[in-house]
Parts: sequence; structure tokens; C-alpha cells
Amino acid sequence: MIALLPWLVAAWLLGIGLYGIVTSRNYIHLIGCLNVVQSATYVILLCVGYRWNAGPPIFDPHPPGTPAVDPVVQALVLTDIVIGATVAALLLALAVQLHKRKGTLDPEALRPMR
Amino acid sequence: MNRIARLTLFAVSMLVLTAATIVVATHMPTFGSHPLPYGDAVNSLVPPARHISNMVSAVNFDVRGLDTLGEEFMLVCAVTGTVVLLRGTRGEQLTSRPAGMHGRLNAPRSDAQVLTGRLLGPLILLFGLYVVVHATVTPGGGFQGGVIIGSGLLLLYLCEEYRTWRWFMRSRWLNACEGGGALVFVLAGLAPMCQGAHFLQNVMPLGEFRDLLSGGLMQIVNAGVACAVLGGFALVFLEFLEETREPRDEA
Repeated sequence: MIALLPWLVAAWLLGIGLYGIVTSRNYIHLIGCLNVVQSATYVILLCVGYRWNAGPPIFDPHPPGTPAVDPVVQALVLTDIVIGATVAALLLALAVQLHKRKGTLDPEALRPMR
Repeated sequence: MNRIARLTLFAVSMLVLTAATIVVATHMPTFGSHPLPYGDAVNSLVPPARHISNMVSAVNFDVRGLDTLGEEFMLVCAVTGTVVLLRGTRGEQLTSRPAGMHGRLNAPRSDAQVLTGRLLGPLILLFGLYVVVHATVTPGGGFQGGVIIGSGLLLLYLCEEYRTWRWFMRSRWLNACEGGGALVFVLAGLAPMCQGAHFLQNVMPLGEFRDLLSGGLMQIVNAGVACAVLGGFALVFLEFLEETREPRDEA
């Protein structure tokens, strides 16, 4: 069961994030849900690179050669988080402009642009 | 599409997704005990080859440096988009002495608030710099440190007040920081080519293992990333705070 847990947690985050996006009545809430979906990728990446009884891939107290987890996926997550934060800022800026123009943040109250 | 149709579609797709997840999850390699060929290659090859102990930084700034360059430009694009959207018709004009906003009190901060800010501010700045310069030795690097310094600047708004924040934050400097960081990254990539080496090839002296200045070219790339992230986050904060003010409120 413990071997399945990481993948199920990631799937759960993806699922509740998508549910939030589908039922959202406010763009700010929707952007939060999008970030929840994105955090599923963090869980997946970190768990793919995990190894039992291994240290961090930073050989400061322990010498190189001791077992360490995968640094490649950790580097991916690191850049992912920073990019995710700025993309969230971009989406929030879109929400601000939307509220200025239409006076609402409810996705269901809006018609597609022509 | 109405609400019920959308929820039905969502429920059906979730059923499919759940079934697919269970199949995939039971066929994944065993958690925590499967081979990690790329990670092991980095962990065993990079410390002797680059004299640095932080493998995550090594992957970001050297092994996958070209990828990080792409991510750097994604960051610049996202920040530029945010700034353009928020500035709108206001343009680039920013007075350094904003007037108060109609109907909104410019609440003075209490002494305790100011004191806390002035005590914490330098410490957060120092911690951010510490994280930036320790990129190759301990868990640190330009991305994390840049975010710490950028967010620490918000203390100016919280603990001083809006005028001080605006007096201190000059958007021109931040633009230079943001764009200059990305430029430093590109130049660090192109410079080795002048010597006949490859793009981003680490041709600088590598230094001692576990030394603050180890890693050669990675130090320059790291500094560029720190500048770009710091400038980007501070610009986003500046523009979001500016958004609460209309152009006519500025004297």
C-alpha cells in the first residue's frame, strides 16, 4: 500500500484541482485550483526520484558516493515552482483586468469573446 | 454548457481517469527502490568533474543549463505579460511621490510595526544573499534566494508605508535587474564560444570542493538567475500594489 500511496496522492491532487476548476464560480478560486493541479506534478516528480535510506543530493556533511536521491527531478521541481508562481501572477493580472472590464469574476457570467 | 452537463462530463471523465490511475499506479516501478540511472550518473560524475557539492544546482546551471535558460525566458515572459496587463493605459510613468487615494486612508504604521520591519528587513535580505551565494555548496541557489529577497522587499510596504515603498522601488532598476539577469545568463553561455568551446561549457577555474567559489561558470549563471528572479518578483509586487491606484490619483 505504501508503494501505491505517492501516486494516489498525486492523482487525488489532480482530481480535486480539476473538480475545483470545473465547479468554480470565481476566477481567483480557479487560479488557486490550477495551482493545486500543478502541485500534483511536484508530488509525482519528487516521488519518482525518491530512494529508501538515501540522503539528499547535496554532499555537504556526507561525502560523494553515499546513496542519494535523484537530483534531476528536484531541479525540475525547483524551476517549476518559480515559473508556476509567476504564471499565477500573470493569471491574476488577467483576472484584475477582467474585473475592470466586466465587473464580475464569475466564469459562468461571461460569454466567449468574438 | 450548463452546470449539470458539465458536472456529468466531469464525473464520466473522472471515472475513466480513476481506472487509468489505478492501472498505472499498480504498474509503476516500486516506490523508493528502482534504478535511477540519470540521478546516479549526476551524483557520481559531477562532484569530481565540477568540484561542487549541490547536485541540484549542478543540474540546473550546468548539466541542464540550456533548459534553465529556456525557463529563465519563460519567467521573463510571464513577468512581462503581468506588467503589461497591469500597466494598461497607465504607461511607464511612475511618480516617485504618489498622492493619497480618494476614499482610502493612507494608514500610518504603528511604531511596533516599523520597528519589527526594520529589525527583520536586513536579516531577511542577508538570509536571501546567503542562500544565493551558497548555490554550489549547501541547499541554495539563485531561484530560492531571489524569491526570498524579492518577497522580503514587501516588508517595506507592510512596515513602512506605501510612499516609502514607492520611493524605494524604482521600476527602472527592477526592469534592468530582470532583463539584465537573463542577459548575464545568455552572455555566460556565449562567452565560452569565443574561446572555441561549446555553449555554456564550464571553462572557468573550478575552485576547491565545498568552497564558496567552486563551480566556475555556475557562479555567474547563478548570479544572473538570482537577479532575474529578484527583479521579476519585485516588479510583479510593484505592479499589483500600483493597481489599487488610478492614474488620476497621482499628483
